[in-house]
Amino acid sequence: MARPHIEPYVEFNEDYRAFDFAGYGGAEYKVLSLDVDTGASSLKVKFNGGYTRKPGLCYSDMEVFVLNGEIKVGSETWVEGHYSFIPAGVALGAMEVAQGAEAIVWYNDSEPTFEETDRDHPLALKEGFISVNSYLDCPWASGSIVSPSTATGCMIKLLRFDPITEAMTFLYCMTPEFMQDNISYHDCAEESYHIWGTSWMMQFGDLPTGGYFWRPPYINHGSFRSKLGCIAIGRTDSKLHNYFHFNPWTNPDDNQARAASFLYRQRPQLFRWVGAGGHNHPHGPQGQLKYQNPPHDFETPEYGHRPDVSALANQNYTFREMDHLHADEYVHKVHHAHKVEDDHHHHDHDHDHPHHHGDGDLDHKH
Amino acid sequence: MLSKYVQDDKPPMTAEAKAWMEKETATQEDRYKAIVDEQDALIPEREQWYADFLNIVQTKGFNFTGDQRRVIPKEEIAEKPDRPDAMRVVW
Repeated sequence: MARPHIEPYVEFNEDYRAFDFAGYGGAEYKVLSLDVDTGASSLKVKFNGGYTRKPGLCYSDMEVFVLNGEIKVGSETWVEGHYSFIPAGVALGAMEVAQGAEAIVWYNDSEPTFEETDRDHPLALKEGFISVNSYLDCPWASGSIVSPSTATGCMIKLLRFDPITEAMTFLYCMTPEFMQDNISYHDCAEESYHIWGTSWMMQFGDLPTGGYFWRPPYINHGSFRSKLGCIAIGRTDSKLHNYFHFNPWTNPDDNQARAASFLYRQRPQLFRWVGAGGHNHPHGPQGQLKYQNPPHDFETPEYGHRPDVSALANQNYTFREMDHLHADEYVHKVHHAHKVEDDHHHHDHDHDHPHHHGDGDLDHKH
Repeated sequence: MLSKYVQDDKPPMTAEAKAWMEKETATQEDRYKAIVDEQDALIPEREQWYADFLNIVQTKGFNFTGDQRRVIPKEEIAEKPDRPDAMRVVW
């Protein structure tokens, strides 16, 4: 089921745990979110003073954002605001942390791994390596890099953009008294960690410093406010399109259907071709054009082999049943509608009335 | 564009990584349930937030892109649906 919807989560309320594998001995961690199928994860890591690690590589793409402290990595020194994208197989130099440091560390493809070596893996995509101080060396830009766009006062620093999936990693900030009066959702999963400050969303309330979310596609969020401003680091796993609306009661199915309606009216030929499985050649017998999965891209024909592309294509967001909403009749209707087996079970949360709990699948595939 | 990637050479998951995954999966499940409980408790406040929002979009306007707003007439405002997930926000 990929990653569950974790929103909001304030990691300051949790203790660190000892990190005793994947080259992290002597460090500590908190999991912000975890893909339970692949081990891909977003972690907050505390490198205690005196932490060292020999040069080595990881079999997953990694991203690192330094929150505080100083980390020597080979010949570089990473300080507060440093961002790095380390493609799978690229050997990082030896690490030394003299006084302690904290960082957000992402493993994009699989669980944390470490192999001691000072040589890149022969297949490593070294040209993808990024190492930049996002605070000092990147300018703030208007948030209107996509359209429809956010309101003035939400600005971004784009740190990484993948041209194949349009996945992004970016710093963003909201100015004091920022406001945006709409409800948003996207086709992509979206993730954020609040470095400083508080923002507010109409569904979830305040997200303070140390606040985090991993939000699967098609989930309503907003309207938006920030009284004193905030700065955060965010990521998407694919293209971000802002679908704005003003109906606070829609669910992910409603939102996904509406997104499909946009495709229907804005890219009608593509919608029809995809819906027909590619069998819409105007002059030949239907079925002569073989629908390929993934569809052929003459420019990047091998893109389907990319680990992130295949992971996205195979990702199923299985939303939970009506957890804690006490709606036996609705659950019955939904089960009937989706033709899934009723595998309700009871649990021992402290409630004074029975209700269903959410391990059953509604088979909402997103 | 390659047809084989570093990730394809990844060694099998180690026993300690499997144990880590199991532990953290269970912890995350507990966290998810705690978030659902917290967010359920916010429903009365959220009702008011929604009412405030619907008032704003009918008076000051709805941001349809950037700072451009459209004042939404009352007849375009949706009724709260009669389904129990109407106030649900964690999915």
